[in-house]
Amino acid sequence: MSDFLTVKGVTAGYGDGPAILDDAHMTVQKGKVHCIIGPNGAGKSTLMKAIAGMLPLRKGEIAFKGENIAGQRPDQMLRRGIAFVPQERALFPKMTVRENLKMGGYILNNDKALTSRIDEIFDRFPILKERADQHAGTMSGGQQQTLAMARTLILRPEVVMFDEPSLGLAPKIVREMFGIVRMIADTGVTVLLVEQNAVMGLKNADWGVVLDLGRTLFEGPSTEVLADPRIQELYLGGRRAA
Amino acid sequence: MDQIIQVAVLGIGLGGVFALMGSGLSLVFGVMRIVNLAHPSLIIGGAYIAYWGFKLYGIDPLIMLPVCAVILAVTGILFYKAFFERDAKSATYSEMTVLLTFAIAMIVEGALGAAFSNTQRVTSPVYATDAFFIGDVFIPKGQLYAGIVSIMIIGLLAAFLKYSRLGYAIRATTQNREAAALLGVNVNMVGLMSFAIGIGLAGAAGALTSFVFSFFPAKHWEWVAILMSLVVMGGMGSILGTVIAAFSLSIVAAFVGTWIGSTWSTMTFFLALFLVLLFRPQGLFGEKPELV
Repeated sequence: MSDFLTVKGVTAGYGDGPAILDDAHMTVQKGKVHCIIGPNGAGKSTLMKAIAGMLPLRKGEIAFKGENIAGQRPDQMLRRGIAFVPQERALFPKMTVRENLKMGGYILNNDKALTSRIDEIFDRFPILKERADQHAGTMSGGQQQTLAMARTLILRPEVVMFDEPSLGLAPKIVREMFGIVRMIADTGVTVLLVEQNAVMGLKNADWGVVLDLGRTLFEGPSTEVLADPRIQELYLGGRRAA
Repeated sequence: MDQIIQVAVLGIGLGGVFALMGSGLSLVFGVMRIVNLAHPSLIIGGAYIAYWGFKLYGIDPLIMLPVCAVILAVTGILFYKAFFERDAKSATYSEMTVLLTFAIAMIVEGALGAAFSNTQRVTSPVYATDAFFIGDVFIPKGQLYAGIVSIMIIGLLAAFLKYSRLGYAIRATTQNREAAALLGVNVNMVGLMSFAIGIGLAGAAGALTSFVFSFFPAKHWEWVAILMSLVVMGGMGSILGTVIAAFSLSIVAAFVGTWIGSTWSTMTFFLALFLVLLFRPQGLFGEKPELV
């Protein structure tokens, strides 16, 4: 199980700045939903960016299906089947929903295949079909998040990573987003999530990873992580001032 | 009534040319965040190519147009590689490009002056001084042709941006550079291509300008302010906005020139710029900066 995607001893930071990740590790199992939790500044988003190839590793290894893929560019990760939606959703606000989906398949460079894949997405997400010709920037937050998540599926990835899909959304919409996450996982796609709200994130995941100060404190089945007293300490113990 | 139509017709013709001049500038700003103060000096470079093509070989400036566009596009690539690429990741890139392109504008002006002197030039194909008459309304052929060709080129540009793969990549990079890179767009290559296209458009505009206005190396100082006002009014980086600003302001300027006095017509652009900055600083089609 551990030879699908593993992060080992990863140290990384931005530019010449301090290391944000310092010896982070993580085990990713095929077809499961994984939730990365931790206090502000723990390095959750940075870990995703490191896996997505958006920042160079100073140390460590990222192995995907037995191959070390550390140091590859985002588009190379994409070609290998690892897709990433950053926190700000990364849509093109003045392009239509359909055009955004087309950009999702940019590296396919095959109009025919792309059109049929977009139709598949429209079947799975009727709201996007309804809004096909609307500019992405004029949609509601939940619809934009749906589009961002759906767009990663165009390339039929093996792993999708969503950085705080619930950010700025109303509770009812957040439940819908987790519904979509589960739906994606049910098709066999492996999901990694970053979630600020640890309890909600873990309840919707199979596997939990707890980061603090750039280091992995522990990981395990999400029910166990949720019940672990260290979680209480991390979030409520006041070890670090707010 | 005839006079109103007359003035409007003249304004529309000029509007087309200004729209073409401004769209290249807008494209380069939109994709690359380069404030290209050298754009008008490169238009003048294009005008000289068309001028000499006509003067020495009798080639019509409309036929020279693609030649001017290609020569300037290649020049754009060389300039980009030599001056712009190394700083592209700097946080103050836009500010730096203002200084850099200011210097390029002066160098281009100096080089053109040294090579061709500061004499006023104008390309003079037969149609440049000819006109159609519809009733009492007179339509100068030069402006008409230049306006029509400008609109055609802008139409092609719009179709290219809307439908081609590179066009998708250019629009995506303009709107969200990081997201485009994440989806596999080679944003550096897109930047280079956009720069080449933008400067190529300056070359095309130069060929048209060469028979619509008389020009000399320092003429670009007059245009840089007008073009900047169009781009700012359109909403920095919005080509549609730039085109609409070009037409509307050119028409207004034509009326101002006729009714108030021709010295005041250029004032239209600056007054509009002033009002836009006061009341709608993001321009007609620009995004309001978010206060996050």
